[in-house]
Amino acid sequence: MALSLPIRPWLLVAVLATAASAESAATEVPSFRQDVMPVLFRAGCNAGTCHGSARGKDGFMLSLFGYDAKGDYERIVTEIPGRRVNTAVPEQSLLLLKAIGAVPHTGGKLFDKDSDLYQTLLRWIEADAPDDEGVVPQVADVTLSKESIVFEKAGAGDSLRVTAKLTDGTSRDVTSLARFFSNNPSVATIDADGVVKATGPGDTNVFARFSRFNVGAEVIVLPSAEGFVWPNPLANNFIDTLVFDRLHKLRIIPSDVCDDETFLRRITLDLAARPPTTEEYHAFMSDAAPDKRAKKIDELLASDTFADIWTTIWSEHLRIIGGNYAPVATHVKAAEAFQEWVRKQMRSGRPLNEFVADMVTASGSNISNGPVNLYTMLLHKPRMEPKPLAADFSQLFLGVQIQCAECHNHPFDRWTMDDYYGFVSFFTGIKRKNGIEPRERRIYFDTSVEPAKHLVDGRPMPAKVLGAIEPVPGGDDPRKALAQWLTSPDNELFSINLANRIWAQLLGRGVIDPVDDIRVSNPPVNPALLDAVSRRLVEAKFDLRSLVRDICNSRVYQLSSKPNASNAADTRQFSHAHLRRLRADTLIDSIVAVTNVSRRFDGFVDGTRAIDVYPKASGTTEVEFGPYHGDSFFHTFGRASRSTVAARETKSEPTLSQALHMAVGDSVRDRLASGGVVKKLIETKSTPEDIIDELFIRSLSRRPTPKEMTALRALVGEKVKDQAVYEDIFWSLLNSTEFLFNY
Amino acid sequence: MASSSSSRSGRADHRGCVGYRALTRRQAVQAGTFGGLGISLADMLRLEARGEASTEAFQTTKAGATGPAKALSVIQLHLGGGFPQHESFDPKPEAPVEYRGSFGVVKTKNGDVFSDNLPKTAEIADKIAVVRSVVGKVPDHGLATYHLFKGYTPTAVIDYPAMGSIVSHELGRRGELPPYIAIPNNPGAVGGTGFLSSSFGPFELNADPGNKGFKVRDFSIPDGVPLDRFDRRRQARAIIQERIRDLEADPSTLDTMDEFYSQAYTLLTSKDAQKAFTFDGESENTFKLYGSDTTGSVKGPDNQYHKKGLAERLIMARRLVEAGTRFVTVTYGSWDSHVDVRKNCLDQMAPLDQAIAGLVNDLDQRGLLDTTLFWVTSEFGRTPKVNGDSGRDHWARNYSMMLAGGGIARGVIHGASDSTGGEPARDAVPLEDIQSTVYNLLGIDANKELVAFGTRPIEIIKDGTIVTAILA
Repeated sequence: MALSLPIRPWLLVAVLATAASAESAATEVPSFRQDVMPVLFRAGCNAGTCHGSARGKDGFMLSLFGYDAKGDYERIVTEIPGRRVNTAVPEQSLLLLKAIGAVPHTGGKLFDKDSDLYQTLLRWIEADAPDDEGVVPQVADVTLSKESIVFEKAGAGDSLRVTAKLTDGTSRDVTSLARFFSNNPSVATIDADGVVKATGPGDTNVFARFSRFNVGAEVIVLPSAEGFVWPNPLANNFIDTLVFDRLHKLRIIPSDVCDDETFLRRITLDLAARPPTTEEYHAFMSDAAPDKRAKKIDELLASDTFADIWTTIWSEHLRIIGGNYAPVATHVKAAEAFQEWVRKQMRSGRPLNEFVADMVTASGSNISNGPVNLYTMLLHKPRMEPKPLAADFSQLFLGVQIQCAECHNHPFDRWTMDDYYGFVSFFTGIKRKNGIEPRERRIYFDTSVEPAKHLVDGRPMPAKVLGAIEPVPGGDDPRKALAQWLTSPDNELFSINLANRIWAQLLGRGVIDPVDDIRVSNPPVNPALLDAVSRRLVEAKFDLRSLVRDICNSRVYQLSSKPNASNAADTRQFSHAHLRRLRADTLIDSIVAVTNVSRRFDGFVDGTRAIDVYPKASGTTEVEFGPYHGDSFFHTFGRASRSTVAARETKSEPTLSQALHMAVGDSVRDRLASGGVVKKLIETKSTPEDIIDELFIRSLSRRPTPKEMTALRALVGEKVKDQAVYEDIFWSLLNSTEFLFNY
Repeated sequence: MASSSSSRSGRADHRGCVGYRALTRRQAVQAGTFGGLGISLADMLRLEARGEASTEAFQTTKAGATGPAKALSVIQLHLGGGFPQHESFDPKPEAPVEYRGSFGVVKTKNGDVFSDNLPKTAEIADKIAVVRSVVGKVPDHGLATYHLFKGYTPTAVIDYPAMGSIVSHELGRRGELPPYIAIPNNPGAVGGTGFLSSSFGPFELNADPGNKGFKVRDFSIPDGVPLDRFDRRRQARAIIQERIRDLEADPSTLDTMDEFYSQAYTLLTSKDAQKAFTFDGESENTFKLYGSDTTGSVKGPDNQYHKKGLAERLIMARRLVEAGTRFVTVTYGSWDSHVDVRKNCLDQMAPLDQAIAGLVNDLDQRGLLDTTLFWVTSEFGRTPKVNGDSGRDHWARNYSMMLAGGGIARGVIHGASDSTGGEPARDAVPLEDIQSTVYNLLGIDANKELVAFGTRPIEIIKDGTIVTAILA
């Protein structure tokens, strides 16, 4: 089977790349690959904003960060003879004149005439600008002198050295040829010499880049120790231990655990996609059992609604849209088959790795075999297109965006063009043919199809899993090997991606965030935590509910959103809960539940909950004609349009349109009175206080504060049976930030 | 694309190729929806407060160096589907009939000729500029519309913001109204904010000013709720907001939410804002000027001539611009005439001609033409040769655009196409140049770089040159 590497993608770095030589003596002729290209890299000439851009800059193109040495040599030396490099009068070479600013240069002056960088280029040109001959030692690894730096206060400094190990066994200090960047300069900066300076409390990572390698070091800048007393919070499980360890190290004190009212609302919204009913509220609040939270979690996990939420989450990831245009193969019957197949897997607690493997290896009819629609819905195209399919597949199941490597080695990650084209070849043989009825298409794998060809040199690249050296064995449908590698318990890329996505659903933010952009330069904020939740998922045999149960039972999940002085600025270490705007479908379902007035969704029977609705288009589902929300409410409140697999498809930013819609739109406006909620309360409750109390519990799952009660009672005034004033209060509850958010 | 159209179902009601019909269909599906919009400064401050600004798209790297703004606002009239240049701004009366088509010419005020589909526009040719040598990139509706609205052709990695989103990001609001508005809604998949926050998206009316009983959705206090009750709701909400404020949880989120509610209250209760979205005070003469009653000369399935509603859309656009909106996109018509281009023109050109002339004259009379840029666009033109179905197909290699006001020269015809209208004969103008010119007139440096994903600088327009020949 294919090579199965235990990969920590943010620790690992690129495979073989452009080389850098050991220190060359001043008398030696510089090597193009080992000496000249590192100068172009260090000076930024081949960066994406300059000549490394896909179209070059001002008529001169270099390969991004030097992935194509041969091409770069040609463009520098032979494309325009005697101009960029002038061996007759070396100092007149445009390469040098531009770099020192002697002639106009959009990129400005990059270095001085007396710099080592200049001298290296000059000596190379003086020696007739030779190309390299024979085997050139390549960079095998790049390391930083420290993996972690902790600063006691802002203003402190330290410096990093960068070492390159070469394939010939030698090492070389390349600090003066590397490039540096910080992920968050408001915590720490790093300058061109590798000097790190603490700017403000927090944690971040700084990176050095050399050749195709990115290496990072964690930088922690501590807040003042004065007055810091670690409260030793209890740990309910391993999650708490790991999060609290990290917080302790960062001198951040977690918030307290939230109260029962907040917990009940939070967990019900997260696991049942609706607020608790009044009955559930009273039952939970009067339950004195010490383990009532754990019991509530188990109760909600056992319900079908929990499975339905995850059906919709997967349905969004898998881009299920039902259409009515046969060549795209996404007919509503196919969508229905896929959606219901996913639902069945979620309800039965199918291990997530088996669930994914079924889809990856599926063949047959899009209408009768649900999971085969992985290959119709990820595309929404009349033709099979292996490249976008490979890109979406990788982003979805591995959290890795390999598509950058279509045209150049990934600038911020380890993925090379070889990885990319090898991965694309898993999908080149996927074909579809007409079925028996006009709307049906049959998916099959044609092993006679040629693999993808490398963009630079046209080599055929047989199917190869990411990070492997050798392709998978040929002859058979390679998707079997792909599924085996992908869903193996040893494939940490897979388990980390799933665990991180599950974590993000419940905590509002991934341990790696965004969840679908896992790369060296976007490391986890708590590596030990990510490892542990990923391992937990594997140990639980990829059982979704097991991991969700652990997360929900942790104190970390149950922390209050009220910050303290020490954690108010923390947005990413899970020291307190954050406001999370309800998903669009959960929000409209909540309005329906609280007001007791149903809502109809196009193409679905009356009474269907929004959480069960997927978009249906009357014609094609091709992405160019999207986005497909299926309902105006979903559009306004940012439900994923399924036009791409990107996690950012789900939008939770507040907008003016949302405020207008809640304030005067039909969702709330037409439901305040017609459900009879207020009318019934006026009839059954004896005092205005009781009515207000019930409206609060119904809408926000909490009792009003004394201050709220006083102010709202005053608003009611003398007309204690006036329906209008209670409707106005009901309106304000539904328009409150509390109602729109899980907090 | 066109060849596969027969296999798609239920499209008899629309003209145009499959791709184009899907675009317009989506618009219909989307009717009744809102895009987001918001406030640039507040968004940026919010991110800065969280220390996230450096990883967001809100940074700019290069200082913009451009002249003072000539245009305060842009009205973009988008003629989706591919507007035929031969039948409008670039007739070829000398060409053989299979190129020339079935229409004659009319002399323009400044001595040139337009197609006789545009007699009213010919009369105001001394107030407008026409570019007859626009060069696009791709003759595909989806890709070309994206190119037109965003300045780039789509890539797998980066989604670019629409011009209106960039304008609201760069310039913010001017007065009470949202800076970017789409009438009646966003054309196709292209009004997106790309790598910018969705708060820079267009405010879609989701209602057609051309329809009877026109009313913007979610834009007025419900009939049964008198203002004192609406005030009471605001009061009650303020009371309930206090508890979550006391929690001090994510104050920036709370501020943003409350800011949007405050904007919503303003729009709902401000007489001026409400009025801007109605036709209050517009005279009969104005409607006449824009051709409200003008119909095409093709009868509908009901054997009647139909008004097109463009007059009302453009009057609405003018009102919104007067009230401070920066960028208004108006869509009109269905121009993808692969079959019988003549009939399509007979149906849609007369209302268009009247409305274009009406808007230009109206802006001019009101002294608004100097500060309002009126831009007539289409994603591409149509083939020089009439096809076997008497239609014309997609053509991106050369087509025409009209611009007026906001710093655009009066009475200019720039560039020329060859004898059949297929290739630029002189002064070819890449689409990016027109876009750069529009940005420049708004006081935005099109070379400025916005930063996507924290690290990737992206020029607003790549390699665009200002078309000085059409500047006043």
